[in-house]
Formats: sequence, structure tokens, C-alpha cells
Amino acid sequence: MRSSPAAIFRQGAVAGESVLADSVLLGATTADWIALLKPRVMVLVVFTGIVGLLLAPGGINPVLGFAAILCIAVAAGAAGAINMWYDRDIDAIMRRTAKRPIPAGRIAPGGALSFGVALSFFSVLVMWLATNLLAAALLAGSIGFYVFVYTMGLKRRTPQNIVIGGAAGAFPPVIGWAAVTGHVGLLPVLLFAIIFFWTPPHFWSLSLFASADYERAGVPMLPVVAGARKTRLAVMRYTLWLVPISLLPFVLHLAGPVYGASAMMLGLAFVWYAWRVMRDAQDATGVSLTRDAPARAAFKYSILYLFLIFGALVLDRLV
Amino acid sequence: MTDPIVDMHWTPEQKAEFVRRRRGRNWALLGALVALCLLIYAIAVVKLLHSGHMW
Repeated sequence: MRSSPAAIFRQGAVAGESVLADSVLLGATTADWIALLKPRVMVLVVFTGIVGLLLAPGGINPVLGFAAILCIAVAAGAAGAINMWYDRDIDAIMRRTAKRPIPAGRIAPGGALSFGVALSFFSVLVMWLATNLLAAALLAGSIGFYVFVYTMGLKRRTPQNIVIGGAAGAFPPVIGWAAVTGHVGLLPVLLFAIIFFWTPPHFWSLSLFASADYERAGVPMLPVVAGARKTRLAVMRYTLWLVPISLLPFVLHLAGPVYGASAMMLGLAFVWYAWRVMRDAQDATGVSLTRDAPARAAFKYSILYLFLIFGALVLDRLV
Repeated sequence: MTDPIVDMHWTPEQKAEFVRRRRGRNWALLGALVALCLLIYAIAVVKLLHSGHMW
């Protein structure tokens, strides 16, 4: 028979083994609530949103620009909190996520859902007050896409989950642009496309070395369903798509030579990392003999790539 | 309504930790609410200045 948390706590307190009980019953810390917002994901979202804001013609009042970026950050965090609420069952199974506040028992699922919904509501409302209806609608759409399409619709059903779901993470530069101009131009659409095609090699590199976790939780990530060998090929295929798409802003004269040269060099380096992933030493079943060292390197590089290519766009505009 | 401090058989250290965490959450919530008020106030001022309806 399972003991109630209170009983576990009492036993633990008596036996002097109250570590688990402490973390569950003493309540969440502020850091736990912040962890619900997935702050590491938020950094990339904020950065790409700022780039969209800076590249947009016309400029924006600094207070309103700050409010717009804050809303993008809070909305991303809110979507992350709702995602953690919905995925609490599989998070508890996966080693990588088992210590998150909900599966660890420090935050009640209902509390996390309320937190996420409230922050979603306020972020969209403040975005509308500070900028315009289009930016607010796009922000609401990105939250809805991440929660309903990716988290609830795709993640547990198809290995293409992160391909289609990647659109949710591609919204921030478009929202940043729309916050300034009130419309959506060709350049933010291209920035959307860059993040969209960047997402598969980024997440599939991660899933190559975390596939045991996904398999245990029953999440049909590509390595679980199609095997590691096909996933490595898919990483290369999407990286080869990404390079020409990343060059489009230069080809279409929406960015200058600084961006063009940067995109080419960064893209070729990405292809080299993807090549190493594809050529990783593996056994007959495709299991890596190097503990997926190339996939780990490609995952780290993919994050650097996105920072640098968006940074190059801003630099190109400044020089 | 139950009060965890009264109802639970906690050691003084555990009570102190519970109170510390609760105080931390309360201060964080206060900070977030004050920040939201200031943000909306600043947005309102900027919007009014831009539209010429202030002073």
C-alpha cells in the first residue's frame, strides 16, 4: 500500500530521512516557479525576438520595445509551463526531466497550469496595449501552436513532431518585427524559415543522445521510431536545406555581404558537424560507438549557430 | 482551512524552512505585481505622449 505524502514526511522526520519529504511538503521555492518558465529556452526566444525588433524599419519607443520583448519572453515561459503541466507524466519517467518541479512534487499540476494560463493572458494583453493587435495575435498564435499543436497534438503521435512543432519557436522574430511595423514583411518570414529548418537538426542531435529517455517515456522521436542511422541522415538532410535558406536574405538583397559571408561560413560549419554525426562510428544497428560525441557537438554548435547568424544580421545592418 | 505549521509534526528547522520559502514566494509575487503596474503605467504614459493627449 502506498503511503500518503504526509505519512512519508512523518516517517522521514522520525527516521531523520526527510530529504524527499522536505522537497515535497515544504513547498516550492521562487526558483521552482522560474524553472517552470524554461529560462534556458527563453534566452534564444528573447534573442531572436530582439533581432526581429531591431531589423524592422521605423524603430520603436524603447519602453514599448522593452515591453514587447518582455511579453515574448513571458509568453514563451507561459507556454513552457503549460507544456510541463501536460507532460508531467512523461517528464517523471525521463531522467533529463524527472527533477522538474511538477514531477518532483514541489509544484502542484493545477498550480502550474493556472500560472501558465495567467501569464499567457497577461503577456498577450500587455503586448496589445504596448504595440498592436497583429503582434498580440501572433503571440497568442505562437502560444496556442506550442500548446495545442505541438504539445497536445504532435509530440506523442508522430516522429515529425519537432519538424512541424518547430514553427512555434520560429515566431519570435516575426512578432518582434510586427510589434514595430504592424505588419509582416519578407525578411521576418525568412527568419521564421531559418529557425524552422534549424529546429530538426538541433532537436534530432539532442534526441540521438537522449533517445533512451524518449523511448522509456514512449515519445516517438525519430531515433526511437526510425532508428539512429536514419536520424543521422535526417540531420544532414535538414542542415543541407538550412544553408541555402539562410542565404536567401542576402540573395534577395534584404541583407548585405557581412551577413552573406557569415551565413555561408556558419552554414558550412554546420554541414561539417552534420557530416560528423552522419559518419559517427556505429554498430550494425546504428548505435553509436562514441557515446554520440558528434551529435553532442552538433547540438552545442546548433545553439551557437543560431546566436551567430542572427547576430550577423544585426551586425550587417549596423555596418 | 489547515495550517501546515500547526498540523504537521515539523521540527523547528523544517518550520523555519517552510516559512522562509513562503516568504520568498510572497515577495516574488509582490515584485511581479509591482513590476506589472509600473510597466502598464509606463506604456500608458508613452502612448499618451505619442498621441498628444497628455498636458
